[in-house]
Amino acid sequence: MSILNEISENLQKGKAKVVKQLVQQAIDEKIPVEQILDEGLLSGMSIIGEKFKNNEVFVPEVLVAARAMNMGASLLKPLMAEAGVTAAGKVCIGTVRGDLHDIGKNLVKMMMEGKGLEVIDLGTDVAPETYVQTAIDQGCQIICCSALLTTTMCEMENVVKKANEAGIHDKVKIMIGGAPVTQSFCEQIGADCYTPDAASAADAAVAFCKATA
Amino acid sequence: MPVLTVNGTEYSVPAGIRLSDALARANVSTSWPCGGLGRCGKCRVKARGALSEPDVQERQLLSPEELAAGVRLACRTYVLGDCEAQAAVSSGEEIATRGAGRVAAVRPAFSRYGAAVDLGTTTLAARIYDASGRLLASGGRMNPQSRFGADVISRIQASMDGAREELAACVREGITALLAELCEKAGLSPAELDGAVIAGNTAMLYLLTASAPDALSRAPFEADRLFGEETDAAALALPLCEGAKVYLPRCISAFVGADITAALTSSGLCRSDKTHLLADVGTNGEMALWHGGKLRCCSTAAGPAFEGAGLSMGMQGADGAIDHMTVEDGELCAHVIGGKDAKGVCGSGVVDALACLLDLEALDETGLLDGDPTPLSGDVSLTQKDVRMIQLAKSAVCAGMYTLVERASLTMDDVSELLVAGGFGSYLDLGSAGKIGLIPLSIVPRTRVIGNASLDGASMLLLDKALRAESEAMANAAETVDLSTDPVFMEQYTEGMFF
Repeated sequence: MSILNEISENLQKGKAKVVKQLVQQAIDEKIPVEQILDEGLLSGMSIIGEKFKNNEVFVPEVLVAARAMNMGASLLKPLMAEAGVTAAGKVCIGTVRGDLHDIGKNLVKMMMEGKGLEVIDLGTDVAPETYVQTAIDQGCQIICCSALLTTTMCEMENVVKKANEAGIHDKVKIMIGGAPVTQSFCEQIGADCYTPDAASAADAAVAFCKATA
Repeated sequence: MPVLTVNGTEYSVPAGIRLSDALARANVSTSWPCGGLGRCGKCRVKARGALSEPDVQERQLLSPEELAAGVRLACRTYVLGDCEAQAAVSSGEEIATRGAGRVAAVRPAFSRYGAAVDLGTTTLAARIYDASGRLLASGGRMNPQSRFGADVISRIQASMDGAREELAACVREGITALLAELCEKAGLSPAELDGAVIAGNTAMLYLLTASAPDALSRAPFEADRLFGEETDAAALALPLCEGAKVYLPRCISAFVGADITAALTSSGLCRSDKTHLLADVGTNGEMALWHGGKLRCCSTAAGPAFEGAGLSMGMQGADGAIDHMTVEDGELCAHVIGGKDAKGVCGSGVVDALACLLDLEALDETGLLDGDPTPLSGDVSLTQKDVRMIQLAKSAVCAGMYTLVERASLTMDDVSELLVAGGFGSYLDLGSAGKIGLIPLSIVPRTRVIGNASLDGASMLLLDKALRAESEAMANAAETVDLSTDPVFMEQYTEGMFF
């Protein structure tokens, strides 16, 4: 088995230490960092994402796989910066104002990072202005809003309004998700994309970043 | 006005009304767990005539065959003119009115007859007592507010969207009808009732009293009313005698309500010198730990999986529901309420089903099913997605208990007893609950089911007025543990999702 396959396999099993060792070994073997990232870490995370979408694996498996990915990626990051490799796109994500639930949001973040996107995590209870200001300051192509409560999902509409007011909505897509959110709600508030699960959200985000690249 | 014909009976309804709202006027049993968002698909009815076209949510949830057969989601369909619908007739459901507490009249808060009510999110339960403490009648019915959504958050949203008075009227009518039924059983008139206690979770008391629930709707979730007060029965439009008072026990926090205060009162937990846990598991799991003279409480959103509403073939514990399962000779064996063919599975059935599937190795420790869907009995099956829902719910409850125990610097072994309160708990097989990790496995031998402890507590607060100050002081002194920011909870929650 090639070392990149081994990285992918161990990542799927959540073996963070082994992944880190293997990534170091791959770096020492002078395998290009982009290749280690794409064919090792991201390929493994992509398989986990697909399995999660199909209900074959669940939250704990995704969490441990993401932890393994991050351990490996921490070795690659400085090298990538040196080599001038940039992320496939930039996203800011947060749970909307008044809502403290963050598991769904964290899963989306992990899946997006697993697709090679740079994700800025704004945490929970995020004000609409914060999403918009972050998107402007950091040059994000996408704003992602999560809400788990029927009573807080209306905040997503405020994010859309703020983005319109700031005149960035033609350049920045607004993606929404969370248990009470539906496609018709997305259309109603003028958001750009709703996905029912974290893996689909990552796919949609990558597709959008590619389209605008 | 258009005529809506439901199961052959004609009703005049305003044009443009939502079909679910129109059906609420007829005596049919339909549920609206998601509160009309078109997400859960539980309000399927057969309907035809002048109706709105199926919208995007309906086209997503209904199969082409269903759409062709005239199946609609009542919450997404609007009446445009004369039309017709078929729906199941409301059946008598099993509602827990029994508790384990000893209730005696000491200093009754009434002079002739009194009523104790447990106002639950899903069900109402009540008892009528005379002044000697004799139980004259007891019974239950569904909380009619369910048509605004199965969970408290949907109803809080409905109240904020302008239905505040309507929600209050709805539950007051439900309580009135239940009291009238019980009074008739006891051979009295409701006007002879001269005292009552209504225990319920914080949101239910807000909705009952038509208080603006905005504070409960968003972080930081700090209630601006905690009750622990008497109000006039007339102010709640209840049919008690003139001048009668209704006592609403004190709530502990926005999501640990007067039902827990009442349950704590009835269990006598806070008079013990030992360490006890109490858990009430429903759509909202509420938990309390008594240790060293201190009460710590928390609540966790378990979601509707245990009420049946969140599952593909879930239903309430009514006729046709699988309520228990065992393994006999290597095969699944289902017990169905009413003894006929299984139509769905209720909370206690699903807990047993998972425990059996684990035994049969048809479900692995990560929650992966061998077959998706896995048949349980007849046409009733369990999907992989159902299992995932239950994993989230059971882990939230169990992690809540672990977090309380850790906060007190204890381990589960230090807890002398776990008391399980509430309707779902009454039917639960504790062995199965331990096996799937809904409650910690190690504490199963020290677990006791105490039934509808909220109703027991309401009865005690009715029959002994002196307990009120004690319960209020206890609720007031309780510490509420916020799980959403607790690292111990997050760790236990993700780890506990496995079996």
